[in-house]
Amino acid sequence: MAQHKINYTQDGGLPVALTSIDKIVNWGRSNSLWALTYGLACCGIEMMASGASRFDFDRYGTIFRASPRQADVMIVAGTLTKKHAEFIKRLYDQMTEPRWVISMGSCANTGGMFNTYATVQGADRIIPVDLYLPGCAPRPETLQYGVMLLQKKIRENKAGNAQRPKRLM
Amino acid sequence: MRAYVPKDDVQAKAYYTDRYYVAPQVPKSDVSTDEVFSADLEAIKAKFEVIDSFIQMGQMVVYINAKDNYGVLELMRDELKYTQLSEMSAIDWLAKENKFEIFYQMLSMHKRKRIRIKMFIENGQAVNSVEKLFRSADWSEREMFDMFGIEANNHPFMKRILMPYDWQGFPLLKTYPLEGDEFAAWYEVDKIYGKEARDIIGPELRDTSRVDRYDSERFARLGHEVPKGTKITGNEPKTEQSYQEEGGVFLIKKFDKESSVVVDDPQR
Amino acid sequence: MAQVTNRLTPFFENITFDRVDNELILNFGPQHPSAHGQLRLMLHLQQEQITKAHPDIGYLHRGMEKMAENMIYNEFMPTTDRMDYIASSSNNYGFALAVEKLIDVEVPRRAKVIRMMLLEINRLMSHLFWLATTALDIGAMTVFLFAFREREYLMDIIEGYCGARLTHAAIRIGGVPLDLQDGFIAQLKDFLDKLPQNIKDYEDLLDTNRVWLMRMEEVGTISTELALSWGCTGPMLRASGVAWDIRKEEPYELYDEVEFNVPYSDKGDNFARYRIYMEEMRESAKILYQTIDMYEETVKNNQTELMAHAPKYISAPKLDIMTQNYSLMQHFVLVTQGMRPPVGEVYVATESPKGELGFFINSQGGPYPYRLKLRAPSFWHTGILTDLLPGHYIPDVVSIIGTTNIVFGEVDR
Ligand code: SF4
Repeated sequence: MAQHKINYTQDGGLPVALTSIDKIVNWGRSNSLWALTYGLACCGIEMMASGASRFDFDRYGTIFRASPRQADVMIVAGTLTKKHAEFIKRLYDQMTEPRWVISMGSCANTGGMFNTYATVQGADRIIPVDLYLPGCAPRPETLQYGVMLLQKKIRENKAGNAQRPKRLM
Repeated sequence: MRAYVPKDDVQAKAYYTDRYYVAPQVPKSDVSTDEVFSADLEAIKAKFEVIDSFIQMGQMVVYINAKDNYGVLELMRDELKYTQLSEMSAIDWLAKENKFEIFYQMLSMHKRKRIRIKMFIENGQAVNSVEKLFRSADWSEREMFDMFGIEANNHPFMKRILMPYDWQGFPLLKTYPLEGDEFAAWYEVDKIYGKEARDIIGPELRDTSRVDRYDSERFARLGHEVPKGTKITGNEPKTEQSYQEEGGVFLIKKFDKESSVVVDDPQR
Repeated sequence: MAQVTNRLTPFFENITFDRVDNELILNFGPQHPSAHGQLRLMLHLQQEQITKAHPDIGYLHRGMEKMAENMIYNEFMPTTDRMDYIASSSNNYGFALAVEKLIDVEVPRRAKVIRMMLLEINRLMSHLFWLATTALDIGAMTVFLFAFREREYLMDIIEGYCGARLTHAAIRIGGVPLDLQDGFIAQLKDFLDKLPQNIKDYEDLLDTNRVWLMRMEEVGTISTELALSWGCTGPMLRASGVAWDIRKEEPYELYDEVEFNVPYSDKGDNFARYRIYMEEMRESAKILYQTIDMYEETVKNNQTELMAHAPKYISAPKLDIMTQNYSLMQHFVLVTQGMRPPVGEVYVATESPKGELGFFINSQGGPYPYRLKLRAPSFWHTGILTDLLPGHYIPDVVSIIGTTNIVFGEVDR
């Protein structure tokens, strides 16, 4: 028996763990961030690369889903044009709470190099953004670091309180 | 009084040009120097009026009358074996002579030759659609309409293609500013939130070099990040960069910098 | 803060059931995982069969042609990266070549060899990416992971050369900025030696795969006339029976010195296109082996020039700028004011991985192009969907879009 002595009250001392609801909910939320496939332009390719063999997003619990109903985080990867703006709002509205938005690449942050008539100067004119990733295109590592920061942000929230809806206005 | 700036061409201009600078010309050669081209030109000349023709950069350029475009392209496709219309579009000469120049870039795979058919139309004049000859013109003509407002007669679906249907203005005209007019600037806000939201969302920030460290609405300070909208005093604490909270995360293995491997060799 | 509500009305007009003629109108995109970007299709359906297709593009229109009119020539180079962002260097090259023709400079041999290497690496990257995404759309996840693995090796090589993974800007007007880094050749050879086995792996997984064959064979057949009439080029045209490859027919760079075949097929269906992409990868590998030899030859002959010498248009090498007064002045003028090419027009077509990539430049002697028209192959490859899709079934849409290999940065520009 001696070698099976387990301190059940401590972390990792399975099968019992003591924690608060906050922590367990946030643990669940932060480690299964399902992302909406929202590759708009070049950055979308890097988003795909981060999901593919070398960078392997699955180990963060991040799986790309095609439907906004199943997604927690929207990664706006690429140039948002004025023609498309309406759709990003629609898709954002279709996502269930709690939801987060990562704006990936300078185009989604500020319009980037496309300072033209057809480009929305920053996705945050349309939807609230939680995290901005700089770069043109940000490397997959940047995106993964971004997701880790987002996880950290989620863990800091109180899960018990109803999520305050983030409003642009 | 403010100096009058002509609005017929708002494109970027060279801010300094030597007064005595005369731009050289790309050499043009006579069509008779190339057998294939001169035969083609003869065939076109036999049926249609040719205004000008020369060879530039190994490609023949033929100027025709605007009303002949369908006929010339039909002749080119059926008899001269120019089977592909690679590209067509317009050039805006409104500021200079109130005209558009239209070009059709043709390719013959049999002869390995490229020809550019060109013509001028007046402002407001429509062209004949060549969509019946080359399906590719279907979309090119729509694009031309979208960008310049040049309509094509007999086109089955003359609508905008790249810009939204309710867009105003023709972006590639020289009178249209690069950053868009008033309508373009508020397009997405008006459409999604309505005009009353303009004040709340605020105008677009188009000055690419503007950075304001006291504006936390629009800018983040690297290393000293604060939530959006906070007043910046200048002694914000440093944001430490870490992958995990100190002390680890519940149920997740603690990230240990010492024991992690750094891959130097990408080919590993 | 004031609360203003969203004014978008629910979007039901795209799904119409119970019409008298039993027609269903289905909206596909613009956010659809297998639309390869932002394609929106309006499909009119009778049961599962498509009767009318209406592609709607422009969701990625960023105004590149307008930008070009407001930029000096060198400034526009990074923008071309964002056209066909799967193979950026081929766009850089197309633009650089067009301007070089306009200003009539000859690129040194070593730069030409390096450019060809970059072009072919880009072609390989693009085709691998095509294979990965198409296979993913059809359900072959394994191939997706395999092909991305190989693509990452190439990305590393390119990254070592120019520092960027995706948006390379690796080619300058008049040459290339840098010589190959140490280990480039070794890495490339390493990769190329493994490539045949890798391609064989994909083929083993796909060629006799029943699902793959059912979704590919006899689906999306394009006749030669239709392909020509829609201005199709590249693999799309070669799959429809026209062996037209600009590298062969109107050779640029040193393509007339290397030996390669132009694979083509007269079937015109998805499977033919798939086979062409696979064969083209083999041909690219062949070209790359030959360019490695050519590169080593230039090293042996001590041809170290990388940029053309044309003081009116192109800056001197960095060393000269740093040491010689006149070169510095000239560099300053070229950077602040831009080069002023002669008055004239040029249309230059190159064979990008997707097809004929053309740059039409109208120069009026100023530092900005008066008109720059980008002839992107994908634009017409999207257009052909109008005529191609009717008669097919819904699942075929995905595989047809897959094999047309469209990239929206290029379609919408
Ligand atoms: S930020 Fe750069 S890479 Fe990303 S979408 Fe914009 S242009 Fe493309």
